[in-house]
Amino acid sequence: MNRTTVEVLIIGNGLAGIVAANRLVAAGADVMLLDENIHIGGQLLRQIPERLGSLRVYHPDYVKKIGFEFIAALRTEKIVVRNRARVLGIYPGREVLIETAEKKVSTVKAERILLATGARERFLPFRGWTMPGVLSSGAVQVLIKSSGVLPARDLVIGGSGLFLYSVAYECLKAGAKLRAVLEQTPLWNKIPLTWQLLHQLPKLTEGSRFLSKLIFSGVPLRYSTRIIEARGNGALAQVVSAPVDGKGNIVSGREKIYPTQLLATGFGFSANIELAQMAGCLSAYAAERGGWVVKTDANLETSLPGIFTAGETTGIAGGLKSICEGEIAALSILRQMGRPFGPAHEKRLAKLLRQRRHHLQFGKYFNLLYRIPAAAYLDIPDETLICRCEEVTMGDIRRAVANGYDTPATLKIALRSAMGDCQGRICGPIIYDILAALTGRSQAEMTPLVVRPPVKPVSIESLASYSE
Amino acid sequence: MNREKNRSDNLRIAGIGRCAGIHIRVNGRMITAFPGETVLAALTAAGYKVLKKSNVRGEARGPFCGMGVCYECLVTIDGTPKQRSCMVEVADNMEIILYEPDNG
Repeated sequence: MNRTTVEVLIIGNGLAGIVAANRLVAAGADVMLLDENIHIGGQLLRQIPERLGSLRVYHPDYVKKIGFEFIAALRTEKIVVRNRARVLGIYPGREVLIETAEKKVSTVKAERILLATGARERFLPFRGWTMPGVLSSGAVQVLIKSSGVLPARDLVIGGSGLFLYSVAYECLKAGAKLRAVLEQTPLWNKIPLTWQLLHQLPKLTEGSRFLSKLIFSGVPLRYSTRIIEARGNGALAQVVSAPVDGKGNIVSGREKIYPTQLLATGFGFSANIELAQMAGCLSAYAAERGGWVVKTDANLETSLPGIFTAGETTGIAGGLKSICEGEIAALSILRQMGRPFGPAHEKRLAKLLRQRRHHLQFGKYFNLLYRIPAAAYLDIPDETLICRCEEVTMGDIRRAVANGYDTPATLKIALRSAMGDCQGRICGPIIYDILAALTGRSQAEMTPLVVRPPVKPVSIESLASYSE
Repeated sequence: MNREKNRSDNLRIAGIGRCAGIHIRVNGRMITAFPGETVLAALTAAGYKVLKKSNVRGEARGPFCGMGVCYECLVTIDGTPKQRSCMVEVADNMEIILYEPDNG
């Protein structure tokens, strides 16, 4: 049997996915919850697996506490949970091609789909960023939180965004020697603070807890400072940084060298919208939402009827927004399914929509504050790799753009960028930003790349297991 | 439950109450791992920084994103090439091969 049917298929078991699953299961819906990760909880709710150790969770903050409660509340006897399962494509009529943990390919026909595919980290390439020993800040946190392993005993953290402080905190708690935190954004960026930030007081208090730990540990915290090179013979040995001016240009002659075995780097997050794009949902560029996001109506339904999305896919704003949107999507789905929907439901939905506006304001503030300036891309040296898989350099891109290959699609044809194993998951958002910086055009005017199935590499052996 | 060593060269974080270790082989060499760790974590703890060679230039590459996105941590696991080591948990007697051309 290669085909099953479900009322609601939730793709992604992070915060938005598990909140929606709880709400839908409580209302009696028949739900399948799919994710390609080993454990439930997505990127935020990571913990030491039960069979690895008895101390399971490192320093859960209050958003994570809420999240773990939702996981505990999930009534697994009433829901089909598939971990290590990958979605290869979504086809008309909401037929979803999946590969299970056992590497068997089959179709799930869903009456409704909720895309809760979250976000991944974004990066600003520098010379040597493909060198072993240069890891994403997320990778360092995942190794600590899911496996209890530090990639090295000493490190430098560099990039941009609030997440760096959380990684710094985890590293210090794990006993690592943190040599410096390098933040390219100026300490006081001129973004008007809005009163909506006050609604996020618990988050801000947490941020200050991370920051005070850093300050009391005596770790050098450098603002307006960019990593310009990772050096080493086969593996990382030194990180070179340089100060940047208010416009984001490197100030030369004031480089600083940090000896270290590990660099954790990250520049915030990009929404995982490829699956939505492959299905045919419309996407849009919005700097205040953190880049390219899936377009939705007020009920979080995408441009394709019956396909909803919740969490970071609609805009980068953190865990509280994902929790809020998970419930909004679940309520919208229940209403569309014709389940009992009374005044109490209407009232709850209205309240959640109000909360969502505050979360989006919070996200807007930080997305604009930590936005990578165009000058940062223009400063990338020619020999720096941009597409890690197909090994396309900044110089290749400069030449191709000068020759008229100046759209995401033509650049891809000219250089094979974004055509390797990761399918542009890492270089895609960088290339959009580079094109905008080189051409002076807004990304809002660009046509995004077409995403085709399979959206993740799959073996012929797996595909051969499929039969109608 | 065994006692964890807390040497400074040990990359495993102390104090999580690990259960007994298991053994996996990396390019024929036996290393200790703990059930529940990902293959990537076990390799990292054993000091492996280079996992594959890049597709075009054959440059040394190590793990990058740590969450199944970048495909930089591809290794051969029990004979199956191109497995993301960050997305698979270790098992006793697992056989890992690094730098195979198929993983590039």
